[in-house]
Amino acid sequence: MPEAPLISVHALSKHYRSFKRREGILGGLRNLFHREYQTVKAVENINFEIGRGEMVGYIGPNGAGKSTTIKMLTGILVPTSGEMLSNGFVPWRQRTAYVKTIGVVFGQRTQLWWDIAAIESFKLLRRIYDVSQRDYDERMELFNQVLGLTELLDVPVRKLSLGQRMRCDLAAALLHNPPILFLDEPTIGLDVVAKDHIRQFLRAINERYKTTVLLTTHDLDDIEELCRRIMIIDRGTVLYDGPLSRLKEQFLRTKQIKFILRDGDQSARLAAFEHNLPALAPNGDSSAATLRLERLDEMTCRLRFDRARVSSSDLIRQILAAVDVRDFVIEDEPIEEIIKRIYSGEAEMSSYQPVEKDSSPVTR
Amino acid sequence: MAAAQTFPLPVHKPSPLAGLKVYAEFVRIGFVNILAFRLRYYTGIITYLINVTVYFFIWRAVFANATGPIAGFSLPQILTYVSAGWILRSFYWNTIDQEMAYEVIDGKIAMDFIKPVSVQGMWLARAMGESAFRLILLTAPTAIIVTLLFPVLPPASKLNFALFLAAAIGSFFIMGALNFIIGTCAIPLTSILALIRAKFWLIELLSGLLIPLNFFPRPIQVLSSWLPFEHIAYTPLQIYLGRLSLAETLRLLAVEYFWVAALLFLGHLWWIRATRKITIHGG
Repeated sequence: MPEAPLISVHALSKHYRSFKRREGILGGLRNLFHREYQTVKAVENINFEIGRGEMVGYIGPNGAGKSTTIKMLTGILVPTSGEMLSNGFVPWRQRTAYVKTIGVVFGQRTQLWWDIAAIESFKLLRRIYDVSQRDYDERMELFNQVLGLTELLDVPVRKLSLGQRMRCDLAAALLHNPPILFLDEPTIGLDVVAKDHIRQFLRAINERYKTTVLLTTHDLDDIEELCRRIMIIDRGTVLYDGPLSRLKEQFLRTKQIKFILRDGDQSARLAAFEHNLPALAPNGDSSAATLRLERLDEMTCRLRFDRARVSSSDLIRQILAAVDVRDFVIEDEPIEEIIKRIYSGEAEMSSYQPVEKDSSPVTR
Repeated sequence: MAAAQTFPLPVHKPSPLAGLKVYAEFVRIGFVNILAFRLRYYTGIITYLINVTVYFFIWRAVFANATGPIAGFSLPQILTYVSAGWILRSFYWNTIDQEMAYEVIDGKIAMDFIKPVSVQGMWLARAMGESAFRLILLTAPTAIIVTLLFPVLPPASKLNFALFLAAAIGSFFIMGALNFIIGTCAIPLTSILALIRAKFWLIELLSGLLIPLNFFPRPIQVLSSWLPFEHIAYTPLQIYLGRLSLAETLRLLAVEYFWVAALLFLGHLWWIRATRKITIHGG
């Protein structure tokens, strides 16, 4: 039986009216008497649904409208138009009742009291979310296992490192075990180990409590490690919404073959191979996008090719015939490249056909 | 460890006492938070002492050539008024407006929204915790030193003192409610430094802290009686000195608490209106 979505967003828009400043002294004076406004469409007509237990990555370039969406979902901003229902609440209309059922972490801010020990903030949160001592102890135990909080709790928050603070903030956001967790750039500025901690923790929480997670990030590793579903937003509109795997399938354009030569004195043979490359491409089209050979160092070469036009087995055969190769790696183009193309408008989003929604929510 | 639980949606227990406990927790954290800044209060004591000293000598100079009371105040009365006034101010004073302005500029105000409490209640509760702290670390030492250094009259009677305390608590709420209203202006206006400064001088003057209001021309006194400000200092100090009849005292206390309710309600409405159009920095 298909479950009703936990979060549903329909035709949601947020427009700001911003005051257009004129430059210089004269302009400044004119500003005093006559103001011109321009409307900024931070979010324009977005639609999506999120099922219980899903972990969704919400990505987009700076200023794309990610944070604005999160702020509407958390009841901080009132939308200009559209509808939204989250966990049965209209966030901005039933703010206090609603926020009891969500957890929020803004990577660039903290909800902990800055100048006092973190434990004081936890005590306060336990009280305002009405968490029983037993639940509190049990959850702190779990948080402690994954996040290692114990030694952090008695230190004033301002003295914690960014990674330590983020661990505390995550625990604080989840103290009342909310069914929904919103994370706005939770791994921003963290080192690899700290990022790994955070991701492990999110997976554990999602597994154990079936917490629904919506996270924005610039770090695609977050997405690859945590989310099956990805939403890409730019200039206020959703460009892609679907599984990460399908994004790759549809927009993966190039693959690359890395090959390592057996010895260093094959320059002549390599040059001859490079010279013959156009012959391998269909219709002699050897533009950089179709086939490109780069020498990474003396022994290593990388050949990028358009997977739609050139077959990799043909290429391998040609390489083997031309040079003496010790090792081969065939790789997809990194996901960053795909996203970069989508942001810059190169990828043809019009060709993207949203496949019928899976009715069963993704659970892992 | 227990097996995976299904979604334990927080149960909403509508108990008014439980609601108060939440705010009590904010009072506690306001208190604990200010502990981190306790050094500031040692200098605060000196600042308040200097203020009392300055006004002490000003009023002594004013009364130097006087043959009798001025505007109904004798010299000992006015000196007590000044001393008690500053002691009182050390208690009711708070900086909700400045802190809110700072949080709006910083974008931190967003974190207030994600807490399941009334934002106004939260700020007031925090300020209450701070005032409780000030009472111990600022008001009490200032009061002791001032009474040792200057000739301060005792309260007119035990009843007067009790009613003075009730009025002083009202002062805190008027101040807090006003500051919340000013602080909320930061949401549409962003920069409210000028507004905060204007409010500062308006309150120093119209609260009667610097000069008792009956020293002002009649029209200003009448105007002031229709405004909330004089209940911050003038009303409690009049009660302390026993300058009013019991009936008049009770009437003024009622008016003061009417203002408390009215300003809290206004602040509530203003907050709702201001946050409809909110734009939060950083996103």
